[in-house]
Amino acid sequence: MKFRQFFISRVLAWAITIWIGVTFIFFIPRMFPSDPVENMIGQITARSGTMAPEEKEALRVQLRQQFGLEGSLLSQYGKFLWEGLLQFKFGPSLMSFPTPVNEIIGRNLPYTMGLSLITTFIGWIIGNGIGLLAGFRKNARSSKILEGIAICIYPIPYFLVALIFQIIFAFVLGWFPIQTTILTGAGFGPWFSSVIQGSILPFFSLLLVGMGWQIISMKSLASTTAEEDYVLFARYRGLSEKTIGLSYVFRNSILTQITALAMSLGGAFSGSIMTEIIFGYPGVGTLIQSAIMQSDYNTILGCITISIVAVSTATLIVDIIYPFIDPRIRYA
Amino acid sequence: MKKFWKVANFRLKAGLIITAFFFIVGFIVYLFPHVDPFLYNSYPPKLGVSAEHWLGTTSMGQDILWQLIDAIHNSLTIGLIVATLGTVVGVFVGLLAGFAGGALDRVLTVVTDTFVVIPSLPILILMTSLMKGSSTVFLMALVLALFAWAWPSRQIRSMALTIKERDFIHTARFSGEGTFQIVATEILPYALTWSLSNFMNATLSAISSESSLAVLGLSPANLLSLGNMIQWARNRNAILAQQWLWIGSPIVATVILFIGLFLLITGYNDYLSMKRGR
Amino acid sequence: MKKRTVAVLLALAMILTCMLSACGGDSNSSTPTQQGGNSTASTAGESKPADESKPAEENNTPSDGPMTDVGTPRNETLIVECQSSTDAPGQFNTFMQGTTTGFGVHQLIKASLWEMDTTKGEQFPDIADGFPESNADFTEHTVKIKQGIKWSDGEPLTAHDVAYTMNEMKDNPGISTSGFYQQTFKSIEAVDDYTVKIVTNNPFPRLALRFGVTIYGNDLRIVPKHIYEQQEDVSTFKDSEPVTCTPYVVNSYDELGNWVLYERREDWEDTDVGQVLGEMPQAKYVLFRYLGDANTKQMMMINNEVDIMCEVTPEMFDTMHSANDKVAAWYSEWPYATSDDPCSKGIGFSMGKGAPYDNKDFRWGIALALDFDQISLNIFDGVGRASPFTILTGTSAMHPFYYDELAEWATNELKLDLGDGTTDYCPFDPGYAERMAETMRQRGIDIPDDPAYLKDVFGVGWWKHDPEAATKLFQKAGLEKKDDGWYFNGQPFTMDISYLGDGSEAQQARGAEAAYNQLMQFGFNCTLTSKASSTWSTDNETGNYEIASIWPTGGITEDIFSQFSGWDNRLLVPMGERGSGQGTRWDNDEASKLLQEIEQLSPDDPECKKKNMEFIKLATEEMIFISFHSGVKLCPTNNTYWTNYPTADNAYNGPWWWWSCFKYMTPYITPAA
Repeated sequence: MKFRQFFISRVLAWAITIWIGVTFIFFIPRMFPSDPVENMIGQITARSGTMAPEEKEALRVQLRQQFGLEGSLLSQYGKFLWEGLLQFKFGPSLMSFPTPVNEIIGRNLPYTMGLSLITTFIGWIIGNGIGLLAGFRKNARSSKILEGIAICIYPIPYFLVALIFQIIFAFVLGWFPIQTTILTGAGFGPWFSSVIQGSILPFFSLLLVGMGWQIISMKSLASTTAEEDYVLFARYRGLSEKTIGLSYVFRNSILTQITALAMSLGGAFSGSIMTEIIFGYPGVGTLIQSAIMQSDYNTILGCITISIVAVSTATLIVDIIYPFIDPRIRYA
Repeated sequence: MKKFWKVANFRLKAGLIITAFFFIVGFIVYLFPHVDPFLYNSYPPKLGVSAEHWLGTTSMGQDILWQLIDAIHNSLTIGLIVATLGTVVGVFVGLLAGFAGGALDRVLTVVTDTFVVIPSLPILILMTSLMKGSSTVFLMALVLALFAWAWPSRQIRSMALTIKERDFIHTARFSGEGTFQIVATEILPYALTWSLSNFMNATLSAISSESSLAVLGLSPANLLSLGNMIQWARNRNAILAQQWLWIGSPIVATVILFIGLFLLITGYNDYLSMKRGR
Repeated sequence: MKKRTVAVLLALAMILTCMLSACGGDSNSSTPTQQGGNSTASTAGESKPADESKPAEENNTPSDGPMTDVGTPRNETLIVECQSSTDAPGQFNTFMQGTTTGFGVHQLIKASLWEMDTTKGEQFPDIADGFPESNADFTEHTVKIKQGIKWSDGEPLTAHDVAYTMNEMKDNPGISTSGFYQQTFKSIEAVDDYTVKIVTNNPFPRLALRFGVTIYGNDLRIVPKHIYEQQEDVSTFKDSEPVTCTPYVVNSYDELGNWVLYERREDWEDTDVGQVLGEMPQAKYVLFRYLGDANTKQMMMINNEVDIMCEVTPEMFDTMHSANDKVAAWYSEWPYATSDDPCSKGIGFSMGKGAPYDNKDFRWGIALALDFDQISLNIFDGVGRASPFTILTGTSAMHPFYYDELAEWATNELKLDLGDGTTDYCPFDPGYAERMAETMRQRGIDIPDDPAYLKDVFGVGWWKHDPEAATKLFQKAGLEKKDDGWYFNGQPFTMDISYLGDGSEAQQARGAEAAYNQLMQFGFNCTLTSKASSTWSTDNETGNYEIASIWPTGGITEDIFSQFSGWDNRLLVPMGERGSGQGTRWDNDEASKLLQEIEQLSPDDPECKKKNMEFIKLATEEMIFISFHSGVKLCPTNNTYWTNYPTADNAYNGPWWWWSCFKYMTPYITPAA
């Protein structure tokens, strides 16, 4: 009974979160003097010098109709909620009209998902491992050094780590390509190796920052747990350090870290946007950037809606399964 | 003060020294009269290190050292404005939600949670790219503050919920103090101690967000900030032309500033918990 | 206890594998598109039209030399940069919106009726056979079509294809030109296999100029009727395996939109370029490729991974040129860059804002307050040909057409009234070239003394830097100079200077920054605003700026009407609205009358040129736009694998790789020995 109540309220909060977020991004662009039709005409004019007046006027009228920018704001909003949010249909991309936004996002999303999920999980696992060691043996020199490194890396913004990596490993040492080039035309083998080759630097720059936080928080959790009475008691009982570490300290600290995993997914997404843009990695980040530059409303809405839904859903899932993992928590 | 220094842990000390250094550079050294480092052709371009130009000059004939000092000033200013706004709003909303309870609490909590959960960067990119034309330092700070209040508010709320049940509050209530008075005299001091660490955190993340946006070319064009300095150097091909002082100095400065602030935050938190432990 | 440890470890391992396979799954989940792309390349042999002989197998045959990323021999592949990737990969139908025309599509596989000779400033017939013949009042036009051009599937190209194309563009509402074509054309029909008869609604003396290429390209690109008429709606037909009438066809393309590989047709002689030039395009393959950010581009050029690049800044060129001496540009020595791009950059005023921006004395004051030498040094280190005559760009072709005469006029006849009794102030400064040459020599650059060279590199001159005269003009325009700066109507006067800050146009952005610096030094209080491309066009249309680094300029053919017709004041709309004319809102009856007269004249009429000259003089007297330099473009080429690119010494064309005239360069770009 209590679970049902918890579940319903949690799902409700999830839905409201998404709704507020999406409403926010729907109305922001419409408050500014930005107009995709003008933009497109501007681009055509910039490319070919000047455009004849009558040609410009005719094109303007035509594009307005095609882009579906007619109708009141409210009806556009209603249409967006119904089609975009509920059916994930974001209409045609305005800059690549009439290619559907879904098709464009579908091309880029797997790369972002691959990059950010893998780095988040690997970072979480390695980070917690190191943090556990550092926290459990908190006075060892190696722990202090590891934590020191983590503290020095974590606060640096993603883009700076990416930039520093790019300068050192791609420019100065020349070990990796500066930008990701993915070969889609030459079969699976070249494609796969180009993905790996192009992903190494983005991967490590994302991993390092993501790992930093896990090390720091796991270390402080583990060192507090290591001083709890039951751990001391276990020591008196003469259990081996390894057993104490894994079955007492690890098990009790890792639970809190699962929540941290959900939280870090959001961060990883933001980080992946910056990293993708620096390395030219073909993901949603670079897509958002180019869409915003061209004021392609539909693509922007599509990308951000998907990211809001993904991040809040991840949080929802962790929140719901968390009580199953941690026996100390009951539905209050 | 002396006692504090004795008790303070290493991180707090290191963080304090680094941060103090940046504040001195950004708010005191900054006041020394100097040529506006934004103006072109003040000096010959592409000079190396010399007594007049400790870090050389840019391709546009600007002094890199003064540019860096101005950038530190502006970045810190943005950070402080955002942190102040975020903390004030956050503490207010958090206390309101925590103490008011009921429907107001629920509404505020949902809104707060939304702002905690939704990824801020895409929305920041969207907003700054749209208002770029009219963007000023203060407007930029306002936009960044939009996402800076939610986290402290959530923390303060849960803190308020626990404090509400503590003995001294009950005592105060029995002795006839009104809710407002209780909040002002009993709880605010608590909240403020906690907020200090959050304040520093908000400063850090605001500077970080601003520089991220600058690297995307979305920061105001006439704002000399650390991020914009990096971006301008990148635009003028400083990396491949190996003008390392130009591209390197803002990067190194940003990294050290962030490490300093972060050491300060963790050191301060440890210090607080140690003090409580006593 | 132990079991639990193992369980935990196992769980972790499982999560990891799950994640890895999920990622693998991600790539699998994209396989519908992914494999589509793969198959296009690897099984191109089966999927391509029959006429494309010796396809991918040949790519796979081991070759001695290096190979490109797409599996073609490097020495048979010309690699050209495309400045952006496309969101619509595999879409080659230019009727369909969103097709990235510049991705080699209009450069290699589409043809127009008339193409542009960019060095002469003249058009020549491409698909058409000669220029249109019109009746006396320019309402009926006859266009002959070349015989002997074949589509890549073997069908001949005829007048029916042309008429079909134009009628689709007129009658299909999904094609962006339909509105304009409806207005213009009454009927288009094929009279016989090689003759098209066009009837326009109004007199239309400039048919070839408007429906053939002048700058960049033209929307009228002929499509094969026998393919397109089978489609339900040609405005949504992707045309992933386009049939072409040019020497190239699509071999394969990237599913992520980063490259397209074109291959030469065996029967290249039966194509437009083959018919016009009679020479074979040298490159068997042409790869158009998006190269990523500025740094990557430079590394690729240094490493000989790209042959032709669109546009770079001088800093980038210096880096590449010093790292690899095979990297060259238009001039083999300083200034390297060509100044023949027909879009000059400078600063414009939002005259709709009223005083003082609508006052020509104020605008002239700004022009004289600027130190052009400094501006040149700030933009591209002194590189660039001065283009003083407002909206008419000083390209080389424009010098004999207009600029030489205008310079004469500006030196001897153009006089300003400074408002303090001086009525014969001459603002023109022909000494710019000499001075700049001296400055450059001091910087250790060897500049010859030859006046013709100096005029080519630095131009005919610019406006004086005369703060005293500028101050008088500002005072005449109603501004007041006080100790703490300038005042207008009793209020402190500030100006905002904006530019497009998306990094795509370095010349205009740096021009705005330089003007800002200059005006600040003069004593004005200015702000500098970098606008995002999303608001830039709208603000410029609605007049929502004060001074902006815009480029409402042109100058490629002798006839300038098509480019300047927007300055007619009948097209003006109130501030805040979007009109079809210029956003500067210059309201001048005399100029508009001139334009209306020019519109009725044939471009070949000598009267027409006289009126054009009058219009430009009027625009200069009014200083409607302060133009700095003509379009300066540094278009690097790499001579490692290919050579004989167009250069200043070998100017068979301009370095406009992103224009449709690129196909006419392909026979001359030859393999390096």
